[in-house]
Amino acid sequence: MSEALSDARRLHPATLLVRWLRIVPQMLAGGIGLAATASEQGWSRFLIFAAVAMGVGGLFVLLSWWRFTYRVGAGEIVIEKGILQRQRRVIPFDRVQDIAIERRLLARLTGTAKVKIETGGAAKDEGSLDVIALADAQEMRDLVRRGGVAVVATREAVAVTEAEPVLFAMDIKRLLLSGLFGFSLIFLAAAGAAVQQLDQFGLVEWDDLITQERAQAARGMVNAQLVFLLAALVIGLGVVAGVVRTVARDFGFRLTRAEAGLRRKRGLFTLSEVVIPIRRTQVALIESGPVARWFGWYALSFQTLGADQKEGGVQVAAPFARMDEILPILAEAGFPAPPPRGEFHGVPRRALLRQASPLLLLAALAAGGAFLVDFRAGFAAAALLAASVYVVLRWRKHGHALDEVALFVSGGLLRRRLWVVPFEKAQTIRLARGPLQRGLGLASLLVDTAGASTMRSPEMVDLDGDEADALALRLLELFHRRRATVANRY
Amino acid sequence: MPEDLIEQEGETKAAQAAMAPLHPDQIKVLRIRAMLIAAPLVVAAFVLDLGPLRDTPVPAYAVPATVLLLGLAAVLALPARRYRRWGYGEGEDELAIRRGMWVRVRTIVPFGRVQHIDVAQGPIERRYGLATLILHTAGTRGAAVPLPGLDHGLAEAMRDRIRVKIRQELM
Repeated sequence: MSEALSDARRLHPATLLVRWLRIVPQMLAGGIGLAATASEQGWSRFLIFAAVAMGVGGLFVLLSWWRFTYRVGAGEIVIEKGILQRQRRVIPFDRVQDIAIERRLLARLTGTAKVKIETGGAAKDEGSLDVIALADAQEMRDLVRRGGVAVVATREAVAVTEAEPVLFAMDIKRLLLSGLFGFSLIFLAAAGAAVQQLDQFGLVEWDDLITQERAQAARGMVNAQLVFLLAALVIGLGVVAGVVRTVARDFGFRLTRAEAGLRRKRGLFTLSEVVIPIRRTQVALIESGPVARWFGWYALSFQTLGADQKEGGVQVAAPFARMDEILPILAEAGFPAPPPRGEFHGVPRRALLRQASPLLLLAALAAGGAFLVDFRAGFAAAALLAASVYVVLRWRKHGHALDEVALFVSGGLLRRRLWVVPFEKAQTIRLARGPLQRGLGLASLLVDTAGASTMRSPEMVDLDGDEADALALRLLELFHRRRATVANRY
Repeated sequence: MPEDLIEQEGETKAAQAAMAPLHPDQIKVLRIRAMLIAAPLVVAAFVLDLGPLRDTPVPAYAVPATVLLLGLAAVLALPARRYRRWGYGEGEDELAIRRGMWVRVRTIVPFGRVQHIDVAQGPIERRYGLATLILHTAGTRGAAVPLPGLDHGLAEAMRDRIRVKIRQELM
């Protein structure tokens, strides 16, 4: 270290290049369209435009870099930025939840890192230093962790991180295996997007490419063999895409016990390091896809408060693990182990009247339509019948259980989920009864938690009405009791 | 606090715990709101009937008559029923709120989870001296729990009571 962190300093000079490389293509994107719509001479005009864009972009990047400074002062981090409108942000150390260090490929080539200072507030961009020297990033993290006491040697601090007890790690064999289960058809979407781009910029004229004769010729070539081959190709590519994506994301996955939480390191190209603060974890979620579950593989994640919002407030703690690897991590984070399946209370049988009978009714109508109006209504009838079978099977998997400290909710048919909701993490308790539910004496009960997803929540659907009322009161009582004990402990 | 209890249909005994009704003037507030929505729709239906619909086989006056009937129902019949579905119970450590005609929802908010409290008053509510108490929590689906139709003074008193309890919880 040539200078102390307490002096105001700028971001690493590599930022200039990275930002410039990022900003110029954005400016050019509009220009490409311009050039393509113009005639051949448009290309020379485009070159001029490109040169101007590169110059203006460079100037802008240089100015914003020049006007951005950060300083680690006594007990606080100060960030000043803005070309014209200046902004000064002071983040006290004791408000800092975590300093996340992320290293993209370019950052790794230049020995730098992006630092995200997380305070648990709602704003997503609370304090982001993109990018500074890696050594500075680590020094800053250690400084904040020690409450401002300067550390002499940075290497020592790195060694501390290395010595943390490992809770979960994935070797290359496990990683590749988990990739095989990460079957993904995302490449189809990517290909579709690429085609659309080509079309938009007018680089390919589909009308010229696909003519009446060619379409006819293609129709003649379609047969069972070709369809089979194409399907095999799509599935093969899907598997490869899954492996590539998983390896890129989870390479070198390591979960260690840090001072205030669980530290997760992972990534092949982009190295990321995140601490999941234990006091801020709200709910634990164990989930598993249909094939992986058959082989006994599960994923564990924690829903946290004020975590990286990109991932919807959910942080993966173990992406591909055996149940006996997951339970110690749960215990380390202060969550109880789920009880055996036999202790889960199911949903009353009459819930099926609400969930499946509307589908069956529609299926019967569609079947009638198939005979009387158009045979194609039969497809709809079959689909509705399949949907009702799905609903019945899913109903069997839905249940809940309670132990001394938490509520457990299981659900989902293909992708099965098990939520662990500690009583004291409840925000509100919500009972809902729709018209059909009232007729059947059913009710749905939801324990709302901080950072929960609206799409997938541990809602207990179609409980017996009386039971749901009693359970709501019991959960409220347990909430107050646990709050009192937890408060006493701190 | 008003002590009269409200008869519950379709809900079970445990859910029929004592709940206080909203201020009766809330019916008028709901009625005025329904009127503000229904009136433009009825006018639009009449305009539609005189204009574009004349050239279609739709019988004359069928559309505006239907809309008018629905509007009258929404203004005359529904507000009182909707009002009856609302209720609240202020406990020692939590507030329970009951609402909803179609889907009946009962929400329990422990005071220890309240992040902040609003007392809001729209122009129609102000005319009748009513207010809406809103409890904000850190949750997702229950992030803001509103309780409308309270006497303004009562709403402020409740807010102050709850505020004291939040402060105790923090200590």
